Amino acid sequence: MKNKKINLSTKNEITWCPGCTNFMVLESVKRTLKNIIASGIKQKNIAMATGIGCHGKIFDYLNLSGIYGLHGRVLPVALGIKLGNPKLVVLGFAGDGDTYAEGMSHFIHAGRYNANITLIVNNNQSFSLTTGQATPTSQQGYKTKAQPLGEFNHPINPIKLALASGATFVARCNAQDIEHTSKILEQAIKHKGFSFIDIIQNCLVFNLEMNNLDNLMYKINNKNNMKKAMELAEKWNYNSRKIKIPIGIFYQTKRPVLEDHFKNKIRR
Amino acid sequence: MKLNILIGGKAGQGIDTISKIISNILVKQGYFVFNYRDYPSLITGGHNFNIISFSDKKIGSFKTKFDGIVSLDKKTIKIHKKNLKKNGFIIHFKEFEKNEKDRKNTNIILAGALTKILGVDKKYLIQEIKKQFNNKETISASEKGYESQKNKFNLKKLKNKITIMSGTKGIVQGAINSGIDIYFAYPMTPATGVMHKLADKQKTHNLIVFQPENEIAVANAGLGASFTGAKVMVGTSGGGFDLMAEALSFQGMSEIPLVVYLASRSGPGTGVPTYTSQADLNIALGEGHGEFPRVVIAPGDPIECIEKTNEAFYLSQKFNSLSIILSDKHLAESEFSTDRKPNKILKIKINRKIPGKEIVKANSYEHDVFGAIKKECEKFEMIKIYGKKESKNLIIAWGSTKTVILDAIKGLDFKFLQVLYLKPMSKKIKKEIEKANNVILIENNLTGQLGRLIREKTGIKIKNRILKYDSRPFNLDELKKEILKIK
Repeated sequence: MKNKKINLSTKNEITWCPGCTNFMVLESVKRTLKNIIASGIKQKNIAMATGIGCHGKIFDYLNLSGIYGLHGRVLPVALGIKLGNPKLVVLGFAGDGDTYAEGMSHFIHAGRYNANITLIVNNNQSFSLTTGQATPTSQQGYKTKAQPLGEFNHPINPIKLALASGATFVARCNAQDIEHTSKILEQAIKHKGFSFIDIIQNCLVFNLEMNNLDNLMYKINNKNNMKKAMELAEKWNYNSRKIKIPIGIFYQTKRPVLEDHFKNKIRR
Repeated sequence: MKLNILIGGKAGQGIDTISKIISNILVKQGYFVFNYRDYPSLITGGHNFNIISFSDKKIGSFKTKFDGIVSLDKKTIKIHKKNLKKNGFIIHFKEFEKNEKDRKNTNIILAGALTKILGVDKKYLIQEIKKQFNNKETISASEKGYESQKNKFNLKKLKNKITIMSGTKGIVQGAINSGIDIYFAYPMTPATGVMHKLADKQKTHNLIVFQPENEIAVANAGLGASFTGAKVMVGTSGGGFDLMAEALSFQGMSEIPLVVYLASRSGPGTGVPTYTSQADLNIALGEGHGEFPRVVIAPGDPIECIEKTNEAFYLSQKFNSLSIILSDKHLAESEFSTDRKPNKILKIKINRKIPGKEIVKANSYEHDVFGAIKKECEKFEMIKIYGKKESKNLIIAWGSTKTVILDAIKGLDFKFLQVLYLKPMSKKIKKEIEKANNVILIENNLTGQLGRLIREKTGIKIKNRILKYDSRPFNLDELKKEILKIK
């Protein structure tokens, strides 16, 4: 009931395709943030950085402070916000092309720095806003206007990569499971350190082949066991529709955060 | 009185230590000192040298002929002996090579020997050694050097009150004066000095120095931090600046204040990291897609580095704009002495909305138009005039060529116009050019980038150009010769 007054919406017209799973991600985020705000964190103390791609439009639909940045640069902007004012809760919204292609170096180093920020990647395995070219997580054989012979390259596995890079909270979610996603997202925001969630989602226009993976998904909850985390990460390679896909928390551990290293050096 | 001394050896032998000891002693004696550093991109070995030039009057350049050579290896003598004046002296490391103990402190011994040759009292040497090292071994090494020579000169203590610093130190002081909160940078010569010195300030000041994964992250993190109300500077050289281009353009769109320190090396590509040029004016003026306002300021000496860095912070906060401070290896790493104190510090206020206080989105800032920036810049010294004010012979230059030009036109019928603000540009430049009969453009680059800018802004083509593009700064005699040739 106390959530009633919290207004996270804006008056901007939403321009995602009708039925896009981005609406579900937006709903999950709103639900999570309502809980976060109800738990005592002020709305004005939440800031976001967004990339460029369909996902980035969330910037206009969330009544939060933030920077609508450049394609691929969500993480350095988010890091800057955190170092500039560590009191802010910092969320990064990015896409799969955004994070794993243009911004890959930032993704790897974010795990190393372990600043207390949360990265939410909308992963539809396609560059949809530029009409469907292959991204680093597209399945092999994916035919696009840019890859008419079918995508040759093997997809990378961002979960494995995040684990290897030292991310202290690593999770995968299903955009269509709003309840589960918002639960995981809440834990990610509350986690002190770099949290990463890869949200598997449908695109209703491009890469239809990888839509509706729901039936393959099963829930996991693994914490502080790197060996098991790696095993779970290995289960699905982003390439196949025949393999079961684990969703939930792959790994969570504690490590000192970057901004605390500079705690006494922050003037304001 | 003017002396020009070369100190040479391999990297890692402590050449800089000798120059530092001698410079500090001379400055304390009231002499103006200019210290040029010439070194290739390697850590130990090779051939490095410093040229210390000093005088009882102002000096900001070196000459090709030496009054003395201090050598830490044989190569130094081999390369530079041809430029030693007839009565010039040599202090050779060989004299002190015999015992093991001396070999460890050869550079200190040589510093002691040079002090004696200059005829400076021993107590000033000991004072300086104590200040820098404070251990018995170095003190006795310096004494040993001192006792080994006879004095050739007799430098008396003068009344001048002088400070000596590099352009790097000036930028750091300017940033500290402006209340810098965060400096982001990726190591890149010759900008790295500012990173190291600001990082060191973390021991005594509240500021963060952070080294992200690349210059793309540097500039984006800079914008993220500035968005929250922090006073931010980022620093790099040409290649790193190219990587920042995308984010600089993003600055123009988002109007989040940002100060960028750009210290040029020479050449395109990786270029020549440890040598100098003024070839990056064009990218400072134009880097980034789209059209957006910016301020480009080029200080010409360390005191101007202090003042102009402060102005860069002030202007970027006042107009939510991009300020670029343009320097180069010669200004960043040479040491200049002066008896001038910097101008009063401008207070930097954050007047915009910041997250945490209210909900603020980065694409909705209010802002002033570019015309307002120009008006504000006119409050500062956008140009400076030196030399004979009534002269019809006008030299125009910018940045690190300032001090050598000042030395070159001493006693000549010349007026010198130093351009400090390259964007926006002062209207006075056109008037000055129109008043002169003979105009000479001097730049440390191949194409005369300031000349092109002046032509773009005023329609005037400066035909007489002295351009040097061998990665080295101008030396006094060669510049003077070129100037007189045109006159």
